[in-house]
Amino acid sequence: MLKLLFYLIKNGCLTQRKICPSLDEPALGLPRLVPGKNWTEQAARRCAEACPTQAITAGDRGGESPSASPALTLDLGKCIGCMLCLKVCPSGFIVADRSTRTATTRREDLVLSPRSLPGPQEALPQKEAAGGLFGKSISVRVVSTGCSACDLEVAAAFNPIFDAERFGIHLTASPRMADVLLVTGPAGRGMHEPLKRAYEAMPEPRIVIAAGTCAISGGVHAGNYSQADGVGAVLPVDIFIPGCPPHPWSIIHGIMEAMRLPLDRARPGSSLNAP
Amino acid sequence: MRLACQTIGSEELTSTLKPLTATDSHRLGLLTSLDGRQLVALVLDLKGRTAGLVRCELDQCHYSSLTPLIPQAHWFERALKDLFGITPAGHPRLKSNFVPEAFEATLAPLRSAGDRGKLAGEPPRDFRFLRVGGEGVYEVPVGPIHAGVIEPAHFRLSCLGEFICNLELRLGFLHRGVERRLTEVSWPNARFVAEAASSDTAAGNALAHAIAMESLLEVEVSPRARHLRTLALEVERIAMHIADIGGLGVDLGFLGVAAGLSRLRGAAVGLADLLSGSRFMRGYICPGGVTLAEGGRLSQLRAQAQKLRRDVRGFVQMFLDNASVQERLTDTGKVSRGLARDFGLVGVAARASGIAYDARQHFLHGDYPPLAPAPAVERGGDALDRTRVRARELETSFSILEAVLDEEFAGECAVALPQALPANEAACGIVEAFRGELIHLIFTDARGRISRYAIKDPSFNNWTGMAIAARNNLIADFPVANKSFALSYSGHDL
Repeated sequence: MLKLLFYLIKNGCLTQRKICPSLDEPALGLPRLVPGKNWTEQAARRCAEACPTQAITAGDRGGESPSASPALTLDLGKCIGCMLCLKVCPSGFIVADRSTRTATTRREDLVLSPRSLPGPQEALPQKEAAGGLFGKSISVRVVSTGCSACDLEVAAAFNPIFDAERFGIHLTASPRMADVLLVTGPAGRGMHEPLKRAYEAMPEPRIVIAAGTCAISGGVHAGNYSQADGVGAVLPVDIFIPGCPPHPWSIIHGIMEAMRLPLDRARPGSSLNAP
Repeated sequence: MRLACQTIGSEELTSTLKPLTATDSHRLGLLTSLDGRQLVALVLDLKGRTAGLVRCELDQCHYSSLTPLIPQAHWFERALKDLFGITPAGHPRLKSNFVPEAFEATLAPLRSAGDRGKLAGEPPRDFRFLRVGGEGVYEVPVGPIHAGVIEPAHFRLSCLGEFICNLELRLGFLHRGVERRLTEVSWPNARFVAEAASSDTAAGNALAHAIAMESLLEVEVSPRARHLRTLALEVERIAMHIADIGGLGVDLGFLGVAAGLSRLRGAAVGLADLLSGSRFMRGYICPGGVTLAEGGRLSQLRAQAQKLRRDVRGFVQMFLDNASVQERLTDTGKVSRGLARDFGLVGVAARASGIAYDARQHFLHGDYPPLAPAPAVERGGDALDRTRVRARELETSFSILEAVLDEEFAGECAVALPQALPANEAACGIVEAFRGELIHLIFTDARGRISRYAIKDPSFNNWTGMAIAARNNLIADFPVANKSFALSYSGHDL
């Protein structure tokens, strides 16, 4: 025991001080479309063909008008971060984005196009978090339905390096004590009923976070006979954290977004019959 | 490796397979089917460092179960029923463990679509639990959602007082249809699905996939790719062995060590990031080699690994030397050598029970077998010995890292691949992942498409070990025994 104490004191505080920093190379991150960068239909199609999860769509550019649907889209909710698109598209309209502030509150915000580019995300002020739905403290019940990478990253978010607890985030063993149901994995048919039961057991207001590409869209499993098409097919999702798996900082970012949700976001009486 | 196939009649099944699996030099690697109209067994010859297929056509949807004479077949036969609708008549405990009750009763997802009509007369999947009778016996249901951040499965403990009489496992909640999906995607994209079988073993799965594909495509990778793959495999082993020992620390309430090890797992994951750009080495190993050049980062990797080795050694020693830890783990979750051999346990669980089987010594993957370490074998078969095996393997993995880093990294990262797969071929990749022997088995059809892709995660063999280990243990020791196996749910359920 003394040895342990000695070691812990000698090494001092090992927790990262900078909150949600961008990652360093060679970390791959997620792809991003560069605003204003010229792109050709041909190159966009090559990217779309290379993408193993159909996260990129490339259409006809000729009739592009502000009202038409964009000819090029990149859906981070389907992206597994393999970066094949970057490899086949050297012209540079898709680049690696190493930001860990990747969570969104709307599914459509994950669908990037050259027109609707989100501005640079502002730093996350902790003061603001205090005013949100769950103020300074939030309890999270994690349900795994996938390949365990996201679960390991959730667990890592609570290790001494990232230390999610310092932000008022707690893991709870029971859905009855949880504000948030954080679901990882594509939620195949075998998990539909357990997920619904866990959700129904939670007190209101309650929030569902889909953590990871599988949870958002089914990822590589989407459209299979197992109905593993993401949590959204089973529960109403409030926060989306893309990545395969998302970085622990992205997971913390997503949970902090949940803390910042405005009070009217609470869904009293939200029923599973109309997700 | 490419696989030769021996065809036999169904009446010869037992007489052919029994002698092939009864010795310590052979194992039943896989027993499965292609589309429900045949049985295919992959037999591993450990001494000859090779493997072969035994195939037998089935006219009907049932055959006489092999399990009474070949216990290694028992879990595979359950999978045959669930995935193909094939009934192994006379199986001592046939129950559904792969396709959950929520799916329709007649679903046989891997059976060829035109052949489902034959299933009409067959019994449906069986979800009954084994009941333990007698005065005072009660049941404790656990899961599918567990208390921690962990994958789902249902455990039913039949107990008498504080003691567990029987543990019933019900897995399958994570069934995502991985094996069928692997036959639907184009083969260059199959690697992303293969990795997602169980992503804590992403490097292991990707390597087994790559080896099988390279055998089919008749491609040989460069020494550089071999070395980088070996580094990836061992970094994954280091990260997960640290995580598993740390997890045991959490369950025992030894939180100082647990917190220390969770930070050191972070450092090990940092090695993975440095090597591949991904903390789980997703997308790193591909057929033909690896996807990212090492640049100038290997010296950094060496320095970080050396520091990590010192830190890990200190913490693991602190853990194993602690009297409370020893008391709690000794004789907890015991599996005898005889049962471990009969049921064909693999990896850490097998070696802790005295079975000297480490696939790195037998099958070509990365720099193995030439660089393979001697298997870390213990005799007791309990949670303490499984932890000791992990501790010893951490040391050998760090030594392998250093040995590999001393090698010359010559050649390309990845060689170009041919456009098409060969027709009507079969190949497998066998890898010693951190949990044990991992097999990917691929068949192609007459048009050179993947017609069947079978994955055998090490946990497939070892869940039986968990069920054996729980018996006659205290309920309070069940989480400890479970954690000492640290099995994969997603790799099993697929």
